[in-house]
Amino acid sequence: MGDVKNVRIWFQKTGAAKYISHLDLTRCMARALKLSGLPVWYTEGFNPHIYMTFSMPLSLGVSGLRECMDIRLTEEAGLEEAAEKLRHYLPQDISVLSAAVPEDPFDAIAYGDYELRLESEAPECLWLAIQELLAQDAVLVKKHTKKGEKEVDIKPHFTQMEHKAMPGWLALRAVLPCGLQGSVNPSLLLEALSEHKNLRPYVEITRTKLLKKDFSDIR
Amino acid sequence: MGCKEKSLNTMGEIRKEKGMKMYPEELERALLKVQKPGRYVGGEALSVVKDKKDVEVRFAFCFPDIYEIGMSHMGIKILYGAFNRVPYFWCERVFAPWVDMEAEMTARGVSLYALESGDPVKDFDFIGFTLQYELSYTNILNMLKLAGIPLRSADRTELFNIVVAGGPCACNPEPLADFFDLFFLGDGEEVDLEVMELYRQCKKEGASKGEFLRRASQIQGVYVPSLYDVDYHPDGTVKSYTPKEGVPATVRKCSINDMDSAYFPDSFPVPMIEVVHDRVSVEVLRGCIRGCRFCQAGFLYRPFREKSIETIDRQCRDLCASTGYDEISLSSLSTSDYSRLNELLDRLHTWTEQQKVSLSLPSLRVDNFSPELMARVNSVRKSGLTFAPEAGSQRLRDVINKNVTQEELMRTVTVAFREGWTRIKLYFMIGLPTETMEDVLAILSLGQDVVDAFYQCKDKPKGKAVEVSLSAAAFVPKPFTPFQWFGQDTMEVLREKQRELKSKNPSRRVSVSYHGAETSFLEAAFARGDRRLCAVLEKAVEYGLRMDGWDECFDFDKWMEAFAACGLDPAFYASRQRGFDEVFPWDHLDYGVTKGFLMEECRRAYAAKTTPNCREKCSGCGAGCFKGGICVGGR
Ligand code: SF4
Ligand code: SF4
Repeated sequence: MGDVKNVRIWFQKTGAAKYISHLDLTRCMARALKLSGLPVWYTEGFNPHIYMTFSMPLSLGVSGLRECMDIRLTEEAGLEEAAEKLRHYLPQDISVLSAAVPEDPFDAIAYGDYELRLESEAPECLWLAIQELLAQDAVLVKKHTKKGEKEVDIKPHFTQMEHKAMPGWLALRAVLPCGLQGSVNPSLLLEALSEHKNLRPYVEITRTKLLKKDFSDIR
Repeated sequence: MGCKEKSLNTMGEIRKEKGMKMYPEELERALLKVQKPGRYVGGEALSVVKDKKDVEVRFAFCFPDIYEIGMSHMGIKILYGAFNRVPYFWCERVFAPWVDMEAEMTARGVSLYALESGDPVKDFDFIGFTLQYELSYTNILNMLKLAGIPLRSADRTELFNIVVAGGPCACNPEPLADFFDLFFLGDGEEVDLEVMELYRQCKKEGASKGEFLRRASQIQGVYVPSLYDVDYHPDGTVKSYTPKEGVPATVRKCSINDMDSAYFPDSFPVPMIEVVHDRVSVEVLRGCIRGCRFCQAGFLYRPFREKSIETIDRQCRDLCASTGYDEISLSSLSTSDYSRLNELLDRLHTWTEQQKVSLSLPSLRVDNFSPELMARVNSVRKSGLTFAPEAGSQRLRDVINKNVTQEELMRTVTVAFREGWTRIKLYFMIGLPTETMEDVLAILSLGQDVVDAFYQCKDKPKGKAVEVSLSAAAFVPKPFTPFQWFGQDTMEVLREKQRELKSKNPSRRVSVSYHGAETSFLEAAFARGDRRLCAVLEKAVEYGLRMDGWDECFDFDKWMEAFAACGLDPAFYASRQRGFDEVFPWDHLDYGVTKGFLMEECRRAYAAKTTPNCREKCSGCGAGCFKGGICVGGR
């Protein structure tokens, strides 16, 4: 592979960009990398393409404030400069935060730190309802998998939530499994609310960062 | 380039600082309930956002179909760039929402908006549509409705919300005449700007809408339908078109002679979601040298005009450099007719390979397919090879002036088999003038011949079976073609022909497909319709019809109800054989090609006589009046 250097690009996916799929995101990134003129490494083979590998894909509609992908550069390029160039060519709602030398491998990612903003006229009441829900012995929701539907108990994942009531909103913070060993989608809580409590508030979900096993930030 | 992008970027930043969204805030709650929300949010790189206080005339470019189709269209990119180049014009994009989004918007009281600013379409000075196919007409009216703009031109009395259209179907815009203030005929990139300037001037002078339209009608290529009165004979055919208020008796299209100096964009908004044609496409020529007698585009865009290799090369480089795409499509009606195609490919290959950019041609011709050419363009391999002989028998191919011979086709497919292809798709039409059942069945024998050619080919790919798919579309007679007099086959006849095709298919290696006779019938009615059809369209939209090009939305019975409610018979427009002396609703529009020439071509068609292409010999079609392209250049 010669002298190639791994570089981790940190970015946000918000606004209009939260409505594009992970596949669309990779296409946008590939075009921007091509435009940036950075000395990116191409995969070998019949149909060479720019090497990019992403951490944990975001679900459609979920914003990400500190997402990352790894690329490889074949020549020495300043990290600051690389970030600047890439930022210039991306759509405005995919914004590059920085470029850095990766410290942790992606398989060290264990959790996602999520913020859920639920719309509510009476946020304290909604919080009570959520507490009631989580006081059940088990909170079963149907999960769609490749093998069909199965019931899972989401209770253990959501008991540690922090909450904050604001006028018109209830904000929740949940740290949920998110990694190659398995992930819990924050929207499962909303499904449980719908199934068990018949509540369907509008929600905005943001993944603020990705964490390691010891809950420290991935770097 | 750096400088321009900088300024776009800063605009993006301004918008970000102000927390501006490209889509109305109320939609946030709807977006996750609809399919592909990325269609509705804008925010693409290279979309043009201007500061409203610097803008004098706002143009909403409306594509009457969904985002993925509209964003694949070349015309919108050319005009978007041409308009936005003028500092005080701002052109934004609008697409038809899919039915799920339409329902959400209606339920939430969100009116149709433009993707760059998120502003409602009803705030725009111009609302411009491109007329690509007849089955999008209901989408146009539905979009006006969703925008909250009165449908009829007469109900929009101010000099504001000027509704305009261009594109191929503007050659017979009569079924839309009551809704539009003006139509652009022919090449739009210059005349559109002239009309926008006129509007700006009229605004300054405080002129009325009527005054603006009168002045606009004096510009070549501008047709103001309200300034022409139509009289009908008792049998329903047109008696006369009478120009009012000193407007010209005929309106001639605009034709740009010098394709090298014509505006072509060096960037365009790059979709974040995947669209149908997700690549750079550069127009290499306009018009077509061939006069296939069924082909409206072939006559409308005459004369044939090429760009120079230098221009094409520069435009390809510029677009790759601004968008980051790694595929270029060299597009036109018939790219392989480009006179110096090999030289062009050589030139492009000097940099595309190194930059990992691939080239593709949108259409291949049976008579110039070669392994050399295939080796130099990619992206054909994936989907198999497609050719369009259009008719099964040689006699019928002579009738339609499609100069493809059986021998050429066999030679071509044999070359293709030798090169490793095993899937061949052939396009045909059924319901062509003079067609007999024998001609229809000749489609199947041609398919069988291709299969036989595979088995006879010694160097065919080993261990693979050949797949030949035959696709038969129903022929729709169009204005400005030698078949504009022809009464379309009735749906019964078309269905009979389809049945024969299906049941007499001789081979398991051959598959046959066809499109619905009903959509073709409707398309034919609108293609050659007159002003009275405006009422039918209005009714159709009232009945909730739109997205007629999509099977899941098309409702033929409802359409027939709409016709009946207006006391009109679609067969009068679609299936009636017309006489040479009939006045057509588009006779006062002049595309260069004369009615006399079309009549002569019609006679030759019925005599199965072919006509040489423009490169072989000028046939004096009339398009020479534009004094451009192949009519004046050497052949
Ligand atoms: S080759 Fe024939 S069908 Fe194709 S664009 Fe030209 S005239 Fe039309
Ligand atoms: S005038 Fe002659 S060369 Fe020009 S488009 Fe017509 S037939 Fe072709």
